[in-house]
Amino acid sequence: MSADSRQIEQEAAAWLARRDAGDFSPEDTAALDAWLTQRTAHRVALLRLEAAWNESGRLKALGAGVPAGELPQRGRWSSAPFGWQPTTTPSDEAELPTSAPRLRRASLRPAPRRFGTFAAAALVLIAVASYWGWRRFEHVEPLAYRTSIGTLQEIALADGSAATLSSDSAIDVALSRNERHIDLRKGEAYFDVAKDAARPFAVQAGNRRIVAVGTRFSVRRDGDEVRVVVSEGTVRLESSPDGGRNQPVTLLPAGSSALANASGVLVRAGSAADAERALDWRRGHLVFLDTPLAVAVAEFNRYNTHPLVIGDAAAAQLRIGGSFRWSNAEVFAHLIEQALPVRAEREGDRIVLYSRQ
Amino acid sequence: MDNPLDAWFVREILVHEAALVQYLRRCWSQVDELSDLRQEVYVRVYEAAAKNLPQQPKSFLFATARHLMTDKLRRGRVVSIEPAGDFEALNVLVDEVSPEQRLGARQILKHLAAALDRLPERCRQIVWLRRVEELPQKVVAARLGISEKAVEKQIAKGMRLLAEHYHGHSATAKPVARGARRRGLGRVE
Repeated sequence: MSADSRQIEQEAAAWLARRDAGDFSPEDTAALDAWLTQRTAHRVALLRLEAAWNESGRLKALGAGVPAGELPQRGRWSSAPFGWQPTTTPSDEAELPTSAPRLRRASLRPAPRRFGTFAAAALVLIAVASYWGWRRFEHVEPLAYRTSIGTLQEIALADGSAATLSSDSAIDVALSRNERHIDLRKGEAYFDVAKDAARPFAVQAGNRRIVAVGTRFSVRRDGDEVRVVVSEGTVRLESSPDGGRNQPVTLLPAGSSALANASGVLVRAGSAADAERALDWRRGHLVFLDTPLAVAVAEFNRYNTHPLVIGDAAAAQLRIGGSFRWSNAEVFAHLIEQALPVRAEREGDRIVLYSRQ
Repeated sequence: MDNPLDAWFVREILVHEAALVQYLRRCWSQVDELSDLRQEVYVRVYEAAAKNLPQQPKSFLFATARHLMTDKLRRGRVVSIEPAGDFEALNVLVDEVSPEQRLGARQILKHLAAALDRLPERCRQIVWLRRVEELPQKVVAARLGISEKAVEKQIAKGMRLLAEHYHGHSATAKPVARGARRRGLGRVE
């Protein structure tokens, strides 16, 4: 009897390892399903191993700075992969395509003299045509979308991309021939971008621009602060020139998140699962990990008209974690009361959280 | 983990594994039965949740553990029990900070790194190539000059060991953990 759970665990591990090896045929899947339905013990054993194995994807962060094919010594992990790291902007900048300025220079080359008159006429034609083209393709009337507090909106864009607009948010969408331009006026939006290499997908958020070709990411604006979470593909974060000087460009890979504000850009690397977690608001959840209560409350208030209020400084400092439905601040306040030394008091349409010491 | 119940189970139940195991260990003297007990608790919780999702998963988990041990006692299958049947007195864990005072991403990574370092040499190397360098098992086999079956075996082993360390640390029950160790109860690691 006592070998039972160990035996099952070995079987579960064997299944998962085989699936991990690839070439898992439909027959294999059916056999695994049959094994899982045979006993609940099989299922829970598999879930337990699978959950840890999925999390172990985070280990990828340890590979940063380690040459491929090299296995570091045990216990060699410095604090480096565990913290926030400023971006290494100079190398990022080097990867940028420089073809655009070069093209412009080429077209400005003086035309040979004997074609002068012809060129002048052609220029007028080109100007007229391009103005017409610009009217036709560039100056597309933007479509405006906005949500009220507590509602999300799924938007199917004409290019096949999809956007999810978070609570109390606003975007303007202009799909022109050369660019798919989104202006995030307020709040947060998630984009699942249809691939179209010829038409970059750019989200303007204040003086930051986030450019993608085909990927999934979200952009959020709080005043001057812009936050980007990338769940698939790579996006480019650009900033408007400051005092005539170009700002460095940052490349954000899948799983990373960036926080851009007046003092610069901070990039945090993570796994795709981390990024997905940060985007759980789309499914009605807010996820916190060791978050100060004041920050969590501010998040809730983005989705609710009846605000939660922090009653005192001690309460603001408390930390919480977990996944909560954003649609019900009352339940959240109730949970907080049970979990933390906090008492929630209803005052008019507000719920005030006081520390209970 | 594509069904909501599975995701719930991972999120709300498995996170408490370290606390659960400590609880079982304090109540049950037969150390070799702990992993069976844990499995049985999980099975009961999962089956009950399939019918009706508990509102307070953590309390439900510990209540289930308590009932299971009481049942076993009644059936007289186990003779030696330390605090004979007095599981209620050991309730401390249940009202511990509840909505999942979970670990931050950085701490999880630290635990995973520590778990990785505890793997036997060959296993650690293969898990590194598969998980950090993200090489397919086939490529790992070719690189190390061993059979694909051997790699698969090591991956299975790595999965079991990582799960043991990972779940064993992911819950937060530190004061109790210290208490348990003072009682001289060994850890199965």
